[in-house]
Amino acid sequence: MTRTTLFIRILAFAAIVAVIAGLFWLQNPAFLSTGNIRALMRHMSVNGVAALGLTFVIVVRHFDLSFPGVASLGAMTMGWLIAIGQPLSLAIGGGLAVGLLIGIFNGIAIARFKLPDIVTTIATGGLAIGFSYFYSNGTSISRNFFMSGLLDINDGRFLGLDRPFAILLGAALVGLLILNASRFGRAFYATGENRTAAWYSGVPVSAIVIAAFALCGLCACLSIVLLVASSGAANVSAGTQLLMPAFAAVYLGAALFGRPSVLATLAGTMLMSLMLNGFTLLAIPYYYSDAIVSTVLILAITCFDPRISGALRRLLPTRKETPA
Amino acid sequence: MTDMTQHSASARVTAAGTRRIVTPGTLLMKYGFFLLVLAVFVIFAALRPTFIAPGNIHGMLMSASIAALMFLGLTWLIAAGEIDVSFMSVAALANMTVAGLVAGGAGWPMAALSGLGMGIVFGLLNATLVAGLRLPALVITIASGALAASIAAAIGRGTSIALSSTGFVGGLLDMRLGALPVLALIVAALYALAWGLQEKLTFGRYVYAMEQNRAAVEEAGVPVNRLLFMLYVLSGVVSALAGVLLAAELSSGQPYLGTSYFLDGLTAVLLGGMALKFGKPNVIGTLAAVLFLTGLLNGAALLGWTDSQRQIVRGALLLVGVGLVVFARSRTHKRKTARPETA
Repeated sequence: MTRTTLFIRILAFAAIVAVIAGLFWLQNPAFLSTGNIRALMRHMSVNGVAALGLTFVIVVRHFDLSFPGVASLGAMTMGWLIAIGQPLSLAIGGGLAVGLLIGIFNGIAIARFKLPDIVTTIATGGLAIGFSYFYSNGTSISRNFFMSGLLDINDGRFLGLDRPFAILLGAALVGLLILNASRFGRAFYATGENRTAAWYSGVPVSAIVIAAFALCGLCACLSIVLLVASSGAANVSAGTQLLMPAFAAVYLGAALFGRPSVLATLAGTMLMSLMLNGFTLLAIPYYYSDAIVSTVLILAITCFDPRISGALRRLLPTRKETPA
Repeated sequence: MTDMTQHSASARVTAAGTRRIVTPGTLLMKYGFFLLVLAVFVIFAALRPTFIAPGNIHGMLMSASIAALMFLGLTWLIAAGEIDVSFMSVAALANMTVAGLVAGGAGWPMAALSGLGMGIVFGLLNATLVAGLRLPALVITIASGALAASIAAAIGRGTSIALSSTGFVGGLLDMRLGALPVLALIVAALYALAWGLQEKLTFGRYVYAMEQNRAAVEEAGVPVNRLLFMLYVLSGVVSALAGVLLAAELSSGQPYLGTSYFLDGLTAVLLGGMALKFGKPNVIGTLAAVLFLTGLLNGAALLGWTDSQRQIVRGALLLVGVGLVVFARSRTHKRKTARPETA
């Protein structure tokens, strides 16, 4: 991608953000109030962290459908550890460890044993949901949450930012270093582009795929920690709401910026959160949110598909930028 | 020219499919799954005599028939190397459409047709985007499934809708021929027809050939996109049909009924692939696997297993199914390369 097309893409993204924000602001001036922008950033944190993890899996051209179930199991593990009186750091560590372990399991099953990714991750996700019922027979856990300091993760501030947003930025920075500013990142993209060529170039292909799934599981559990901290209770269906926004963010970002990357995912998450937050302000019921996300996702994939956008460009007589 | 290549390609595929060496090992792999299905029923009948009480058998046949109907399109889609994860949400949407219309005062025929219409709409949507525009199947069907689920929830404003009458669909479900529910016979006939389509017509050969090498099949002149288009529409229609039947069976509209069918559908198709075709999804296998799952989950419920334990059984079975498929594929592949004359 040349510098000019990147510049045009960033401009286009800024324009879309401005248009969406402007439309919502016209409907409800509270949209651009400080309180709402902070709420938006918090919403973005939960979905953004989950989407970051998924980005790695999409970059190596695999799919992970297990992370919502894994996140539920992580939430219940953490909730249970807090409820039995363990210190907060251990509880969060336990929740994250669940994500990491199942992620590694997924990665090994897919990279080493060549199991098909979609069905395998659906199965492990289903297993994780089944196991998440064991801690409390499916009831939500909130004992000791208030005393443990978990809620401070949501309410505290760090360098003037809300702490969840600071965590997202931190995670994004780490992700950026790994994926877009290091040899590791090259290895992820190379594995995704052409596995055989990557292997012959000395990339440890299996290890990279396992790492991608492990990061995805870890991020899903980190995002559920933020969600549980904001809602104040862990329940077995906590993770299900992560699936659509994460896929939408990664694909929307990839559509806007040409390929999946950490910054593209952040941009996609921001667009999704803008829309969901805006529609919530307009008092549109919660069960429409998936419809909005999925419609945007279908439109994004369709319109930004190279063949289709090419066909549209040929239909329109206007002169567009020259392809890179 | 195109005709010639098409003919020779299909002839070669036929030859590979029919000429197989028969040994006790391959026989066991081919028919072992049916023994497993039988074993489940025998074991549960021995453990809990109520398992084979007429009422329970009838209940199992009804739920198995509806599930089998829902998974018919999915079987061929997975056999062709594609995926559809929207089928259960389309069923939920059809279910809620029927419930919403009937609760709103519309007649059952009208409501049932609208429910089916929803299936056609979503089938066409998936077909256009995946088969027509060649967009990634998984993400598109995740999105269209979420869209369908969201509309289903919106129809009932987030909750279920109870129905006072079940109309002509309820009458159809109550009909019995002797001890057997008529619905089970209809679904069995449908599966027999599907087996014929899959085994006796070029359609079935193309489906399996597509999974092997889509570019080659397309080069051979097979209208791959049109075939895939039909499969997605079929999946939408049979899912919606199952959803309409479920509205009468449950006498209510359940917006979240899809979740329980999701794992079952994939498990049935992949485990079923172990029967007869060494890991390739096929309709008879799916039917047997649906019976297997219904018997297993029903029997486990009679033994007092909780929902979460049954969920774990489902997930574990799916994982085992995938593992077996990959294992069987690698085995048959090795055997084929070892004896080139059979390939």
